[in-house]
Amino acid sequence: MRDLTDSAVVSTLAPTKVAILGAGRGGTALLDLLYRIPSIEIIGIADRDSQAPGLQRARDLKIPVTEQAEELIANHGVNLIMDVTGDPQMERVIHLHRRPGADVLSGTASRVLWELVRHEANLQAELFHAEKLAGIGHFAAGIAHDINNPLQLILGLAENLVDETDIKTVHEQAMEIVEAVKRTSAISRDLTQYARKTSARDDVVVWLNGILDEALKIARYAASFHDITVVKQYEAGVDVKGNPDELLHVFVNLITNAVHAMDQGGGTLTMTTRAGGGATSVSIADTGCGMPPEVLSRIFEPFFTTKGPGKGTGLGLYNVKTIVNKMIGKIAVDSRVDEGTTITITLPSSEEAPP
Amino acid sequence: MAEFTSGFFMGDKATNGRILVVDDEADIRKVVRMTLQKAGYDVLEAENGEKAIETINAGENRLLLDVVICDIRMPKINGVEAIAYFRSNYPRVPLIVLTGFPDTDMATSMLRQGVVDYLVKPVEGEKLRESVARAMDQRELAHL
Ligand SMILES: Nc1ncnc2c1ncn2[C@@H]1O[C@H](COP(=O)(O)OP(=O)(O)OP(=O)(O)O)[C@@H](O)[C@H]1O
Ligand SMILES: [Mg+2]
Repeated sequence: MRDLTDSAVVSTLAPTKVAILGAGRGGTALLDLLYRIPSIEIIGIADRDSQAPGLQRARDLKIPVTEQAEELIANHGVNLIMDVTGDPQMERVIHLHRRPGADVLSGTASRVLWELVRHEANLQAELFHAEKLAGIGHFAAGIAHDINNPLQLILGLAENLVDETDIKTVHEQAMEIVEAVKRTSAISRDLTQYARKTSARDDVVVWLNGILDEALKIARYAASFHDITVVKQYEAGVDVKGNPDELLHVFVNLITNAVHAMDQGGGTLTMTTRAGGGATSVSIADTGCGMPPEVLSRIFEPFFTTKGPGKGTGLGLYNVKTIVNKMIGKIAVDSRVDEGTTITITLPSSEEAPP
Repeated sequence: MAEFTSGFFMGDKATNGRILVVDDEADIRKVVRMTLQKAGYDVLEAENGEKAIETINAGENRLLLDVVICDIRMPKINGVEAIAYFRSNYPRVPLIVLTGFPDTDMATSMLRQGVVDYLVKPVEGEKLRESVARAMDQRELAHL
């Protein structure tokens, strides 16, 4: 198993120790961003308001928090003080307390940095939505098939009813039409729900087994499941805290990839959920084509795809990684050419997860 | 009376023709059967390309099968493969594609391979019967 999210950027240098002043929106975003960078260690975050969102978040990430900025500024180890309080007095406080050797980022510089972080976040949200819409293209064949088949049934039955005289047959076929119409309308309901923009519900308890089932339903429109055996190995009651729409998107992508990997001759798709030790894991395994190392090392890059034009945008796994990172989760990929691929996502379970 | 007449003229084969419907959905096979039986055709069913090939190779079908109506998106041997097989092994049997997916590239490639029609579901009974009648004419011509 290779843990790509972690091993990709491991640095052997001593980490830069950063202190963050201000735990409002700016401080929280900065915290989230810096937390993911292995060469940076956040030694603490300060805010006068003990309920500031960034302090809550830091507590979840087990990062020291304080209401006394001075303490943090005077800390011995600190290499860089980042001031995002927006408080004009803070510059003087920093000046008074900081150790020589500690760099300071404040005022305009930190505002620009905050803008950059925010811009990056917006960009990601846009890419996320763009991929979803592009993905709808994949769905075209599946949707057409799933709508036009019941329509054929409805039309055929209705034509027959025009001159059917046997009342029992009339009754049966009318019922068949009703059922076929219901099936057809379920398709547009599922898909419009999926295509809508992601909601802001970030901290809902999500039952993973339910989300996986929903993802499977949607993935059926994106890929052909002919000759594919689906195996579910669910542990009961597995949950995480997160955004259900984003999690749905993660699993639709993983399942679609898995099924695409088996489009020559079929295979088995295994979906497994596990819980224990404060963590929850989901694996999606296929018995498909697998990946050689040169593909494996690039799969999380945006726009990296081995699928033909119009077939893949290469944003699927990039978005998966973005969402999983945000949830402080991990992705492990185990892949063997011609044998198959298993992607395992480990997430903090709901009590442990960030609020 | 009508039955007697056609039986009289056509011997054992008391129908207007024998049609094989290949579709993975039983519902589709059922309505196509209903539609064609009304026009006096004898209808056989297969749920995928593999079964279709088995059916066409079974006993008298080899000689008596008149038209094949085939879906594209199917398990096992899919429609594209099945159609290629039919074209090379049974070039005299006219083919009609009946698919859920309106795809102009696919339609063009299929028509180039000599299929009589590329019909997109849902198709009206009348249109399907017309298409089958046209296919039957082609078969007659091929026999001349
Ligand atoms: N289960 C898998 N088995 C084999 N290869 C895979 C698997 N999952 C991903 N890949 C490889 O990783 C590449 C990137 O996947 P990613 O989901 O990011 O993009 P994509 O599937 O090509 O396009 P899309 O944006 O439509 O998802 C794929 O093109 C494929 O080569
Ligand atoms: Mg993908």
